[in-house]
Amino acid sequence: MKPGVFSYEAPATVQEVLQSLAARTDSAKLIAGGQSLAPMLNMRLARPEHLIDINGVSELSGIAIQGDRLSIGALVRHDALARSELVGSCCPMLAHAAGTIGHYAIRKRGTIGGSLAHADPAAQLPLVALVLDAEMEIRSARGTRTVAARDFFQSIFTTILEPDELLVAIHVPQSRPRESWGFRLFNRRAGDFAIVSVAATLARGDNDSILRLRLAIGGIGPVPVRAEQLVVGDPARLLSKDWPARVGAMVADTIEIQDNEQIPVAFRKELVAALIREVLDQAVDRIPEHPL
Amino acid sequence: MSQFDPVPIVLDINGTQYRVFAEPRRLLSDVLRDDCGLTGTHVGCEHGVCGACTILLDGAPTRACLTYAVQAQHHEITTIEAFGGDGNLSPVQQALHEEHGLQCGFCTPGIVVTMEAWLAENPDPTDAEIRNALSGNLCRCTGYHNIVAAIAKAAARRREGSPT
Amino acid sequence: MTEGRTIGAALLRREDYRFVTGQGRYLDDVVVPGSLHAHFVRSPHAHARIRSIDVAAARQAEGVVAIVSGRELAEWTTPYRMAPPIEGLRAVGFPTLPIDKVRFIGDPVLCIVARDRYLAEDAAELVTIDYDVLEAVADFDSALAADAPLVDEALPDNLISHQSFTTGDPGRSFAEAEVVVEASFHQQRQTHAPIETRGCCAIWDQGRQHLTMHIGNQVPHPFRTQLAARMRLSESQVTVICPDIGGAFGQKIALYREELTVAALARALRRPVRWREDRAENLIAASHAREDVARTRTAVNGHGRILGLELEISEDFGAYCFYPANYLARVVAMILSGPYRIPNYAYDIKVALTNKCGNGPMRAPMAITSWVMEGTIEAIARRLSLDPVEVRRVNMLGAADLPYQMPTGLLLEDVTPREALERGLQAFDIVAFRARQAADRACGIYRGVGLCCVVESTTYGSAFYKAAGIPGSGHESGWVKIEPSGAVNASVGLMASGQGYETTFAQVVAEPLGVDPNEVRIHMGNTDTAPYGMGSRGARGGTAGGSVLLSAARALSDKVLTIAATLLGLNTSGELRLHASRVERRLGGAWTDAGLSLADVARVAYLDPLRLPPGMEPGLEAHRSYDPPPMTFSNAMHVCEVCVDVPTGKVTVERYLVVEDCGTVLNPLIVRGQQQGAIAMGISGALLEEIVYDENGQNRSGSFADYLLATAVEIPPIEVISQHTVNRKTLTGSKGMSEGGVMGATGAVPSAVNDALAPFGVVAERQPLSPMYIRSLLRGRADRGPGQN
Repeated sequence: MKPGVFSYEAPATVQEVLQSLAARTDSAKLIAGGQSLAPMLNMRLARPEHLIDINGVSELSGIAIQGDRLSIGALVRHDALARSELVGSCCPMLAHAAGTIGHYAIRKRGTIGGSLAHADPAAQLPLVALVLDAEMEIRSARGTRTVAARDFFQSIFTTILEPDELLVAIHVPQSRPRESWGFRLFNRRAGDFAIVSVAATLARGDNDSILRLRLAIGGIGPVPVRAEQLVVGDPARLLSKDWPARVGAMVADTIEIQDNEQIPVAFRKELVAALIREVLDQAVDRIPEHPL
Repeated sequence: MSQFDPVPIVLDINGTQYRVFAEPRRLLSDVLRDDCGLTGTHVGCEHGVCGACTILLDGAPTRACLTYAVQAQHHEITTIEAFGGDGNLSPVQQALHEEHGLQCGFCTPGIVVTMEAWLAENPDPTDAEIRNALSGNLCRCTGYHNIVAAIAKAAARRREGSPT
Repeated sequence: MTEGRTIGAALLRREDYRFVTGQGRYLDDVVVPGSLHAHFVRSPHAHARIRSIDVAAARQAEGVVAIVSGRELAEWTTPYRMAPPIEGLRAVGFPTLPIDKVRFIGDPVLCIVARDRYLAEDAAELVTIDYDVLEAVADFDSALAADAPLVDEALPDNLISHQSFTTGDPGRSFAEAEVVVEASFHQQRQTHAPIETRGCCAIWDQGRQHLTMHIGNQVPHPFRTQLAARMRLSESQVTVICPDIGGAFGQKIALYREELTVAALARALRRPVRWREDRAENLIAASHAREDVARTRTAVNGHGRILGLELEISEDFGAYCFYPANYLARVVAMILSGPYRIPNYAYDIKVALTNKCGNGPMRAPMAITSWVMEGTIEAIARRLSLDPVEVRRVNMLGAADLPYQMPTGLLLEDVTPREALERGLQAFDIVAFRARQAADRACGIYRGVGLCCVVESTTYGSAFYKAAGIPGSGHESGWVKIEPSGAVNASVGLMASGQGYETTFAQVVAEPLGVDPNEVRIHMGNTDTAPYGMGSRGARGGTAGGSVLLSAARALSDKVLTIAATLLGLNTSGELRLHASRVERRLGGAWTDAGLSLADVARVAYLDPLRLPPGMEPGLEAHRSYDPPPMTFSNAMHVCEVCVDVPTGKVTVERYLVVEDCGTVLNPLIVRGQQQGAIAMGISGALLEEIVYDENGQNRSGSFADYLLATAVEIPPIEVISQHTVNRKTLTGSKGMSEGGVMGATGAVPSAVNDALAPFGVVAERQPLSPMYIRSLLRGRADRGPGQN
């Protein structure tokens, strides 16, 4: 399976990328790690006339704290994210999730920008970006804009990015004090795309009170969704012994799951319940000084 | 769209410069094999799953089938031909041989290259970690048992600094 | 005879050096200057009439040299015919490429020949083919429904084969039985998926009127025979040369239409033409396998003893028969009884054509067999509330029962199922496992142990084919030559795709010749130099190939010693032997050097023949052929432990052991590797692999993201325990063994899952044991409580 013809350039700066995108709006595609795009090119499922290779744009490779946010350049590789001490300390869920992507060779090339722009419905990084209320910094020749993760993912493999836009960075608000996390994806084999994935953060107060629960689920619809609004009543306010299971059942019972020929709704519903339970178990266990 | 537009490409492979003339869409796997005569890198799927085509790009395992040759310029490419061709097998290669960690051999170069890089970053792995690291290389012949044993043996020898 | 003991040594493989350094020579590594590249345009429909083909724009595309369809191929080649005289099997035939209609998604319609594959794919996009889409049949039941569309319009319906058999009086056994137990088993459609796909390179020498076909094929000579016939060439006009093969598993046996097309094009264009199948083509259009439903009805007494068994198999064979359609399911039915005594037996097998890729033998074509027999035993045990191990013991043949004529007439001998069963249980320590299982169950963790007794049919001899009405031979051929310098060359009609023949056969040949195996080189795969053999399939390589080479090497050893005796002035060679490449003589009970090397003898044989014994021909060559017994059985006991995550249905295989008896071992490393590889393929099939077609015949499994092969994470460590007893009828004492692992895992994994899920009162009857399927069994069910299994 060989790709169709395309012309190619490898700009060195963001400016050059934007100029190219502006000039070739409908016929160019950006390539970063290529781990998602190259298979589509090789299978001729994607047919850009022109490929803009951004791997050389060093401006996009940084990881830094900017104010109260962790800023990650779009070109940061999954492996670098997974092993970054900075990310590991201020955003451990992100580091962990990046480490679960694909396989070693995939992680060495794949980028956070590429993964977010690809927008697979159950993928790790879109899910984590959503649950952490990340913001996407997007640039074009027309200017810069920032889009919240909630608005960034529009549909299956579709984001809000216009054809002339480049995702340049992801800004993740730092976690609150005493905010723990959990993350779990379900797949059939090591390294496969998830069938269903769940991520959560839990900020606790005194006396088992819940200050903030954030919950996101991937793989039940065209985009990952936030689900903490489905947690109502006591489980929204207070931890209890069987809290993770109760929340899992509650959300699984109420959340809308789109039908999918390959994976029956009934099964994905069960995965939602099971994974939420595991994720919240993780989140609860992560602050041992507050045993239930 | 049907213009044939080859471009000159200079590739640094195993320390040697190769000058080829190829369209931007030519896969690195094809250019290595057909233009540079380095046929040790094998093609199994062309969509990045099987791992048979794995090479190193600046020391990092990379699917040659998901890389266009033109992208690989100005980087250091390492292929299987960099290891053991003079008769001095690397610890990974020697251990695979000793542990019967290959049968048809088609997936083997991808495994060797991946493990050479991975062991450099993970010198003292558990069997579970080895299996996880191997999960990106499909083998249809061996059932992986002996490959895992070989990698564990190679890791130990590398730690000791002895090839055999 | 001579000493040596290289047979059975755990020698490391010779072939490894080139493979670990990337210096293997696989098909695509063979450079043939001036080659053009072929690419097939394939049907996007499961069933359609070809109305018109427009290639005008494609012909003009850059780099295109030729575009041909079924019409041209019909002039250049003969049509395919599969019409063996087998009762119940219908004859089929079809043109080299479809002319009238396509029968499955991926059916090749056109071949584009261009300067390279990229350009050929560009040209393919410019082709317009007008199809009249027809209704498709995508499963066995639809295919056999009244008024079902015909896959092959030369046949009256889609029932391609129907065979039945009865022995004893099953009807009476059912009438008299205390209990009748029913069980069913659904095995999914799979495909071989070797890491190297299919491919070939054809070179036509117009001056010599000779075709050379470079291709990785398991059966070089039968392949050559077919290729020559289809091209209307003499066999002496065709040479097949096999390079290293990147896995085959049964997918690289038949002469496929693509390969024949490439050969015909090379001749027509007078340019070398090569083809590389991509992975999508390999998964969709190469060869599929399995997709059987087996149902058993068993008459038993209160102790679980089987009085009679009826087997029904429904097989979905796909659209084209590159192999006799009855053949694969028939072996299942013939060997089903395995290690058990089954006095009254009947089978009924129906095979249907559907609008899917045609089936072929995939490592252990009879893979379903042990799952069905062992699963039936377990169903009996469940029904009667007996220990399934006890039910096995009640029915299993012991040493005193052998040789045993199986209900279908095959002779079962030199197998040790009882011994393997007991050793397997002991090695696994079932008692300790049951304690762990109970403790874990109390914590909501569900573990299970699975058992599977395998009796594997291997190395089919000519007498088997004859009795089964299948044309063809089971013999193998080999030659051994000692060169003037003492170097040894040998050849056999097999072709390696990972089995380590270059090492094991060197060991076999080295032993009678008293040389180091490193001095023996094994040549295979070139039909000009290798002898005509039946090739590598059906787990026959080690036994058939090893036996024939041993025979040839012994003959040569005799000749060498006869010459040596003459040179030494002795009357007889009885006190001579070959050892360490030298002739030794026994004097006073001890072996001493006789002052002659093997090379000395060889030099005389080739260059000084007047010194040979009177009447002896110069040279040192021996050719032999060997026809193995009709069937050679090996056996094994598989035991595995799984953990089922009940909330998600995910099955993890955590431990696997096999006790195996494969007779004389040529090289224990190779044998263990073959077991592990076969078991891994079986686990992968049990849990993950599935070719999915929707009801319209759309194939949904066209990439490795859809067709899932097990990785190193899904396969556990595999412990192989050997308990070998010699087979007294094969020359080496070996038994074949390379497919039984698939049979064992195919049975052991579902057995373990059922054991794990027994508290829920569910039984898994299908593979793959996907999380979705397991959850569908468990949905709405709860653990029935301790003591309720």
